[in-house]
Amino acid sequence: MTLNHYLVLSAILLGIGLLGVLTRRNIIVVLFSIEILFNAANLNFIAFWRFGPNPEALMGPMFALFAIAVAAAEVAVGLALVIAVYRHFKTVDLEKLDTLREP
Amino acid sequence: MSASTLALIPCLPLLAALCTAGMRNGRRAAAVAIGALAMSALLALWALSQAWTGDAQVFPLADWLSVGGTRITFSLRLDALSALMASMVTFVGLLIFIFSTGYMAHDPRCARFFCYLSLFAAGMLGLVLSNNLLLLFMSWEIVGLASYLLIGFWFHKPSAAAAGKKAFIVTRLGDLGLLLGLLVAFTQTGTLELYAGGAGLLEKDPGTLVWGVGAAKLVSLLLFVGAAGKSGQVPLHVWLPDAMEGPTPVSALIHAATMVAAGVFLVARTFPLFEAGGTLPLVAWTGGVTALIAALIALGQFDIKRILAYSTVSQLGLMMVGLGAATTGAIGMYHLFTHAYFKALLFLGAGSISHGCHHEQDIRKMGGIARAMPVTTAAYLCGALALVAFPYTSGYFSKDAVLVAVYGADRPLFYLCAFSSLLTALYVTRQCVYVFAGAHRGAHAPHESPAVMTVPLVILAVFALGMGGLFGGALQAKLGAIHAAHPFPVIATSWAVALGGMLLGWVIYSGRDLRAPDPLALVPLQRKLWFDELYAATAGRLWSGLTALAVLLQEMVAALAELVQELAQATGQFFSRSVDGRLIDQLAVDGLARRFHEGGRAAVRFQSGFLPGYLRWVVLGTLLGGLFVHWLLT
Amino acid sequence: MIEGVAFYILSTVAVLGALLAVSRRNLVHGVFALLLFFAALSGLFVMLMADYVAAVQVLVYVGAVGILQLFAIMLTEHVTGDDLRRLGARGWFWGLMLAVALPVVLLLPPLLNGEPPVPPAAPQSTARQLGSQLMEHYVVPLEVLALLLTGALIGAVAVAHGPEKDPPGKDRPA
Repeated sequence: MTLNHYLVLSAILLGIGLLGVLTRRNIIVVLFSIEILFNAANLNFIAFWRFGPNPEALMGPMFALFAIAVAAAEVAVGLALVIAVYRHFKTVDLEKLDTLREP
Repeated sequence: MSASTLALIPCLPLLAALCTAGMRNGRRAAAVAIGALAMSALLALWALSQAWTGDAQVFPLADWLSVGGTRITFSLRLDALSALMASMVTFVGLLIFIFSTGYMAHDPRCARFFCYLSLFAAGMLGLVLSNNLLLLFMSWEIVGLASYLLIGFWFHKPSAAAAGKKAFIVTRLGDLGLLLGLLVAFTQTGTLELYAGGAGLLEKDPGTLVWGVGAAKLVSLLLFVGAAGKSGQVPLHVWLPDAMEGPTPVSALIHAATMVAAGVFLVARTFPLFEAGGTLPLVAWTGGVTALIAALIALGQFDIKRILAYSTVSQLGLMMVGLGAATTGAIGMYHLFTHAYFKALLFLGAGSISHGCHHEQDIRKMGGIARAMPVTTAAYLCGALALVAFPYTSGYFSKDAVLVAVYGADRPLFYLCAFSSLLTALYVTRQCVYVFAGAHRGAHAPHESPAVMTVPLVILAVFALGMGGLFGGALQAKLGAIHAAHPFPVIATSWAVALGGMLLGWVIYSGRDLRAPDPLALVPLQRKLWFDELYAATAGRLWSGLTALAVLLQEMVAALAELVQELAQATGQFFSRSVDGRLIDQLAVDGLARRFHEGGRAAVRFQSGFLPGYLRWVVLGTLLGGLFVHWLLT
Repeated sequence: MIEGVAFYILSTVAVLGALLAVSRRNLVHGVFALLLFFAALSGLFVMLMADYVAAVQVLVYVGAVGILQLFAIMLTEHVTGDDLRRLGARGWFWGLMLAVALPVVLLLPPLLNGEPPVPPAAPQSTARQLGSQLMEHYVVPLEVLALLLTGALIGAVAVAHGPEKDPPGKDRPA
């Protein structure tokens, strides 16, 4: 298995994530898709570390670990925001959340 | 006495004028003005004591202008002449200010009145004390301005407004002479300082003058024109009687005691020039003619203040005679001082009378004032005695000095002066009989004036009676008069004209029914010898012609202006359409604004609130960024 | 050989899981597909010699994030509903275009540049090494991260916490 295999896989996962972000209207599904994007990125980090020139420095796993931690924080805040949004607008439909425009 | 202390004398009233300019409260303004003038009076008395014992001094204050090598400085002159004038002005002025608080108490613009009065006092004191003809001229103009403002103080009366204009324009003719004299003197000598340690205008020895005697003659003549305008000498006297339209304290202060004396003072101040120029006989004869004409006109007048005004003109004429006939300025100035007191007294008395008679000024509607207003009457009679030169009043001494001088110098002029003195006694008696004797002929019962008005009258009465006898000799000596022999014919004439005139007046008027026409008020005298009509026919006609010419010119100019306007309008329209409309409105200013507006509209479309749309833009941006990085790396 | 088989199996599972997660109308099904995707990815991490990261992946994603998302679904919507429909044709067009274009752009450099050389030795990434690295080189980022997590925790609570409700019985007339 070479680096390019992993990169292609990660790119496909990225595309799927983008598809979810751009086509779904439910905020929760959009959040799923963002998790997929994160993981695609993590996969890249690890793959580059594994096949890269200087593996002793452990840059890849470190980066991945920090990214996972940050993603966890993001998920917590994001889902809290989803709940707050739902409480306020009584919907999680992105198309109906259009208050962010010039009236 | 330092220079700045001396400068305070004119500066204090000036400061008071500035302070009262914005005031509305008449009593407060009066307090400020009187306080300032009282301090000036004290300083002037101190200056007088210094000048009395010490030598004449020049106080340079500050440089005014420095053009090339010519320096014009503010400098003040302290000698017996200026110190006496200053103390007289402040003292008489102070009494008149106090009188005014009573007289003007009910005027809504009382504060403004005191502002003008203070301005006048400042100008007059500056005029008196200045050692520089330019500074003198400036003060002279300030005084003229204050006079104009005060004559027209009741400007809602058309006659007062017209009188103010008349005074301003007629004195302007004189001022033009003064200014020309100033310029000639400056071009000839290069200095306007009167005294400057030997280099002054008046100090150069006439024999060794750089400029010939002809120039001195010209300068003194021009200065005399200025003096004649201010002091109401014959061709230019017409403004002074009309100036009586102003409030009575103004008449007393400006048009009897001080300002009109400025012309006499100017002649006395520049006396060496007149001597050098040989113009003194002209001064004397102008004065004599003025004295006679004014005395004649006074006989035919019925307005109490107008009679006094013509008497003022007449006395100013006598002062000029005193200056012109003598070898020093002392005798004319002596008469000026005594006259200032008794004429201020007479005017204030007249003011008090008309105040008591509900602002009636026609003597035919008065009468019986003696019983109703005893204090005013007594004071007024003191002034009248001094005016007719009743023996041993102040007027007697000073007029006697004039007559002595003129007796020695010019016999025909002496007879002229004697005759006008006789007329003086006659018209004063006539006026007094009309006003004080008999029963009251007016509509309202007269009443005595308040103390604030009568107290200054009494003080002035004391001076009018006593000043000449007490201070006369010393005063003349200080001013430089040479003690002259006192020939018997002069003494006899003095007594004769004073007593004879009064007796004549008493004989004519005492038994008459005063409602009947006056035997002496002949038509020519009532019409003031047609001076106004003469001016209307000559100067006025000329003026009308010039006006017509000016109107014609103006119409031509107007036509030209219309043409220019049309042209300008066409140009403007062209620019307005092409440049303004196309370039600026459509392209530059409005166009730019419209572009921005449209840009904003377009940008607003991105701000749709449609969240997936935003996400699309984010991804698109990432895509483009990736492409950019890729392009960078390859 | 066996490595290749494992890679393909795991990557197929991951791609399928991701596709199901973004496409299922039933959100609970979507969450389970996502968990599958996370697990497959953790397997891939193991293959890449990153055992510890794989363990963290399972713990954090499969354990915590999945449960959190289930709760979010439970607290917000019906599991399926009208507003779960996809965007219109315009949205689809844009989404598909960008979702294809971006990976292609990102893949351009590696595909054009060819294969980099494989390092001779497999790297070591034991928990011990990672721990010592974290305590030596990455102490400050670690602490900052701890702060971030604390902040996120408190923030999440604050955001999700609704408006104060009045005590029961007070606003109701007895």
